[in-house]
Amino acid sequence: MAEATVIKPDLDFVKGVIEGGGDSLKKCYQCATCTVVCNVTPEDHPFPRKEMVWAQWGLKEKFAGNPDVWLCHQCNDCTAHCPRGAKPGEVLGAIRKQTIKQYSSPSFLANLVSSKGLVWLVFLIPALLLGAILSVDGTFIPNEEEIKFSYFAPTLTIQAVFVPALTFGLLVGVLGLMKFWADMKKAAGVTSGDLGGSISATAKEILSHVKFKSCGVSADRFTSHFLVFYSFVMLGIATALGVLYIDIMHMESPFRFGYGTPVKIFGLIGAIGLLAGVFLMISNRFKNAEKVGIGSYFDWLLITIVGVIMASGILSWVMRVAGIAGVAYTVYFIHLVFVLSLFLYLPYSKLAHMFYRSAAICFLKYSGREKK
Amino acid sequence: MSEQQKTVLVVGGGFSGLTAAVETAEAGFNVVIIEKTPFLGGRVTQLNKYFPKLCPPNCGLEINFKRIKNSGDISFYTLAEVEKISGQEGNYDVTIKQNPRFVNDKCVGCNACNEACPVEMPNEFNFGLDKTKAAYITHNQAFPFKYVLDSKNCKGKSCAKCVEACKYDAINLDMKPEAVNLKVGAIVFATGWDLYDVTKLDLLGGGKIKNVITNMQMERLASPNGPTSGKILRPSDNKEVNNIAFVQCAGSRDENHLPYCSYICCMASLKQATYLREQYPDSKVQIFYIDIRTPGRYEQFYWKVKEDPNVTLTKGKVAKVEEDPATGDVLLTVEDVLLGKKITAKFDMVVLAAGMVPSTRTSKIPTDISYTNDGFVVPASLKKGMFAVGTLKSPVDVSRSVQDATGVAIKSIQSVRRSI
Repeated sequence: MAEATVIKPDLDFVKGVIEGGGDSLKKCYQCATCTVVCNVTPEDHPFPRKEMVWAQWGLKEKFAGNPDVWLCHQCNDCTAHCPRGAKPGEVLGAIRKQTIKQYSSPSFLANLVSSKGLVWLVFLIPALLLGAILSVDGTFIPNEEEIKFSYFAPTLTIQAVFVPALTFGLLVGVLGLMKFWADMKKAAGVTSGDLGGSISATAKEILSHVKFKSCGVSADRFTSHFLVFYSFVMLGIATALGVLYIDIMHMESPFRFGYGTPVKIFGLIGAIGLLAGVFLMISNRFKNAEKVGIGSYFDWLLITIVGVIMASGILSWVMRVAGIAGVAYTVYFIHLVFVLSLFLYLPYSKLAHMFYRSAAICFLKYSGREKK
Repeated sequence: MSEQQKTVLVVGGGFSGLTAAVETAEAGFNVVIIEKTPFLGGRVTQLNKYFPKLCPPNCGLEINFKRIKNSGDISFYTLAEVEKISGQEGNYDVTIKQNPRFVNDKCVGCNACNEACPVEMPNEFNFGLDKTKAAYITHNQAFPFKYVLDSKNCKGKSCAKCVEACKYDAINLDMKPEAVNLKVGAIVFATGWDLYDVTKLDLLGGGKIKNVITNMQMERLASPNGPTSGKILRPSDNKEVNNIAFVQCAGSRDENHLPYCSYICCMASLKQATYLREQYPDSKVQIFYIDIRTPGRYEQFYWKVKEDPNVTLTKGKVAKVEEDPATGDVLLTVEDVLLGKKITAKFDMVVLAAGMVPSTRTSKIPTDISYTNDGFVVPASLKKGMFAVGTLKSPVDVSRSVQDATGVAIKSIQSVRRSI
């Protein structure tokens, strides 16, 4: 007789998936409709059917170094056609959340971000931190007649807080990515490959959003993700230009030049794009809610952070231009708190998908598993 | 007790209804059967072979027809429907609508009207696999063996070619729908089931791809009195079928379609696999399933079919069906769950193992009854003296319907006696 396989279910993992938006997990009866209707799965090692049974059985080790859950773009074609309402798309989202938790350290921050009950603390920490730093000079709302956000939050202070915060977020994310990469290599028994070529092919795939285009029931996910993604790129460019003007050219913000200049153009297009993108993301969730549900806490935490950044960013600008100081400064403070949250929680929130999904897509090319 | 009070009305002349009728009548009670279609026998008449004995429909049906003919206590109306029910146990007033057959008792079944009839229409008895005339009989074992003119398609007096052709003066184009009032003591509902509408299964190509047929169409293809005289040929080009696939749970066990197991489809596909294997010795059969469900002793039949090396059972539900336009072949995509790979395979013909839908899902009984979300009768909601049989309550096979109908016969007898 063949050697017996001992299955060691990790019940905490199952619980984590169920609590993380995968509460329909146990309804799956392994018919594999999901795998067939999925347009983004590879044909060998197809998902999400096998992930459903692994998660039901608590086979946590199967997910370590497994790129497949990250190839899922949550189109939810599987969920729409699932005969049992097991919502594979949502379950895979919850499994990804578990993976993010597993790979990102320190674990108390990972636990903080993933715990619904601690949502107040999630925002209280950056608010207190920022409040403390900004109130060092004693005046919280500046008295000057002209509204200048640099009165309230000096550029240097901003840079001293946000640059380390972003660096921290990126570092933790990259460390997680490297652990994940090593696990993927170990699990697949792959030792070498064309890393440079894989990275450039991955960048092409991500930048073109080509996978989103094959989504069936939620084809408009392409538009919303495309808008949010490129709006962030625009806003990133605007920020970089701001740094250039302030630190290199020693100008003072708000910049006194018109709306036709690059920094303003990128900023405005980014803001409008983000507004449209976030609006689409939210409305799409409600459009498919009957079959899919509106998503998990983890989904909404990121939507909330991005949404508040967008709304407070636009509102603080409008208030500044309108000259309503009290509101402008308050909204700007909220804006800063949420941007800080985005940076600090980058590797722990759903935004960490930028590390793990990119790595998974890249690994598929690197390992030669992806058919040419 | 009056004769009327002693009468049991059986609505539906399929296997369940016939069983309830003969069992009741042979215990000394009057029975009236009303049947919506022009012939008795129901779904079983459309099968090639049926479980558990795998004999053709006339074994079983023939004896019941004989019992009806021999019994002085059973009368029946075909082309009839219940319009109104009032009263209570022991004293129901039922109005039925008798639709015209346009053919009277003088018909000898000579087929002259059929030959003369110029109107062609899809053959419903064969699930649209071929055409029939507007003057027709479903098959050579039909009971009553009397032709019928299809009221929707027949052009009536403007044509009347059949009237000229009939030597027996058996056709009467003046027949009109009639209301018939019955007084009965108890009512048995045995209106059976319909096949799930496979055009709703958009992933499976039902009704769109020529060589994707339903399990009931497969019965007709294999039946000696079917459109191909029992030779299994695929619809697009009448090619012999050497490579067939069965798609299990076509609608069943699916909250988007039928959220229940239709009980017999796995057995039907296993049975139909043997039709093909017996007809073409080199043929190959592949059955794609979620779980093979073989209620009770049917398990042994499953083992037997499984032993055939040309029958492959693959775990994985088909969720993509495409047509190869050049050849008419059918491509199925499925995850072979045990292999863990997504595969696409090509077949001459594909059978959708479509599920069972209670007739009450679409046509409700004209009295106060509760139904489940899927249209099944909730038995507890039936008034005293009313009974539902077989597939009206849950998907079941013929033998369980028969057992149920026999049980209901005694229930209706008790009901009638109670109200004396």
